[in-house]
Amino acid sequence: MSETSAWVIFIAAIFTNNILLTNFLGMCSFIACSGQIKTSLGLGTAVIFVMIMTTMINYVVYHFVLVPLSLIHLQFIVFIAVIAAFVQLVEMFVERFSPKLYFALGIFLPLITVNCAILGASLFMIIRNYSFIQSVGFGLGAGIGWAVAIVLLAGLRQKMTYSHVPKPFQGVAIAMIVTGVLAMAFMGFAGMVAIQ
Amino acid sequence: MKWLLKVIDAVRPNFEEGGKLRLLNPVFEALEHVFFAPGTTTLEAPHVRDPIDLKRFMSMAIISVVPTVLAAFYFFGLRFVAMIIVSYAAGLTVEALFAIVRKEGINEGFFVTGILFPLILPPSMPLWMVALGVAFGVFIGKELFGGTGRNVFNPALVGRCFLSLAYPKTMAKSWVEPSDYLAGALTDWVGPSLDAVSGATPLALAKQGEMGAVSHLFLGSVPGSAGETSAVLILLGGVFLLFTRVASWRTVVSILGSFIVLTGALVAGGAVSYPMAGVFGPVMWHVFAGGLLFGVFFMATDPVTSPTTNAGKWLYGIVIGSTTVLIRNFTGYVEGVTFAILLGNIVAPIFDEIVIGIRIRRLRSEG
Repeated sequence: MSETSAWVIFIAAIFTNNILLTNFLGMCSFIACSGQIKTSLGLGTAVIFVMIMTTMINYVVYHFVLVPLSLIHLQFIVFIAVIAAFVQLVEMFVERFSPKLYFALGIFLPLITVNCAILGASLFMIIRNYSFIQSVGFGLGAGIGWAVAIVLLAGLRQKMTYSHVPKPFQGVAIAMIVTGVLAMAFMGFAGMVAIQ
Repeated sequence: MKWLLKVIDAVRPNFEEGGKLRLLNPVFEALEHVFFAPGTTTLEAPHVRDPIDLKRFMSMAIISVVPTVLAAFYFFGLRFVAMIIVSYAAGLTVEALFAIVRKEGINEGFFVTGILFPLILPPSMPLWMVALGVAFGVFIGKELFGGTGRNVFNPALVGRCFLSLAYPKTMAKSWVEPSDYLAGALTDWVGPSLDAVSGATPLALAKQGEMGAVSHLFLGSVPGSAGETSAVLILLGGVFLLFTRVASWRTVVSILGSFIVLTGALVAGGAVSYPMAGVFGPVMWHVFAGGLLFGVFFMATDPVTSPTTNAGKWLYGIVIGSTTVLIRNFTGYVEGVTFAILLGNIVAPIFDEIVIGIRIRRLRSEG
């Protein structure tokens, strides 16, 4: 078990090991839902919530069900099932309390289920041998890091409505390029705090 | 000058509608307008980019870097002139290609980027890397977004960031000791090919526990990026920029303020320790060391990539100042101004959005 404190893992997951800008996980909804700051903020919050809850649940499921029953080979299916069930809950919640956001996110809300960042966080937690507290720090940090990245991209894309992007680069292409520059700028934090 | 006018008039038909070299018209016009004012006046705004007078802004920015350019020439010699030429040539090529495709004129904005870029590079950087960096910066950082006034990142910084991530070893090897003769290096060619003494920058030395005198940093006789070494000349240009209101004093004050406060807090709190005694000493040393001042005055104040609202500028400055401190003290990099300002550019639209949102809410509640 690694001995890094949960606090360090939390900071690292936001800045130095941002799950989106260094591992490039969860790109599909990142590109698709970053047209507007409000929408991206909504999706970002949903991802933070789902990520921290599923890492916690998956930690418990993995260490108290899968390991004792030696069913580790089922971890992918079980993790995805947990995530899917949880996202269903969130979806019902959002539909009930913020119909506007529900329609703005559209298909991308249920698609959080297959957001690779969420599954990625659970798998990293297993690979890196985090303890429960560390997992909480990592889940929260990874979620916040993802949300920060999508909100930043949304801000830039909103500003870019005044830009004059050449035809072949419009839409997804320029968003990918901007993401690249974002990742370049985040490289500046490299070495500040380190997790594997 | 009459002969030149004759030459230009003679080749003009080639570039006009129906001429053989019609496609190169933007290049021809740009060259012509260096020497002569156009004979025609514009009837309507052909490609207005911004309500501010772009040309005036750009010429002020160029005037303000003149002292720094001369200092770079004095300290690092003829090689620096070659870097400027390469930077202009490579950048203008990209710019001209886009102008030709878009059928617009070449914009003055590049003249600022083209001079700023060599100033933030190590003085013995291989020339092909200078060309690659500026081409990358202009292409990715500016032209893809529609050219001057429409970019979201500072093109020179995108180019430098790219070089420092792609060729970290070459960057680290390219620092040279500035000339210590009275006549400077005006006639010398310092470069990796000749016997240049590669010098570690003051910030790199500080990481090893060695801090030079502040006076050296102030005058500029230390290794560093070509234009960043002489604090006094940067201040001279910077004050001029503030005076002409091209640079926003809010940005400058908030970056330097947050930088000083955070560094002071770290030193006083014992989170970082320097061989220099006291709190004030190390803080002042850090302000004058490295690219902070250059970045503050010439990079961060770029009106296009910084927030437009005043409150946004304060927040933007705080982000840049504190990120610089964090990167300098806690990461593997010795200098963080490039990354910090790029991050500032990235968060700038969010700050504008927040400030404008609050303002709208306040107006609504007032009815």
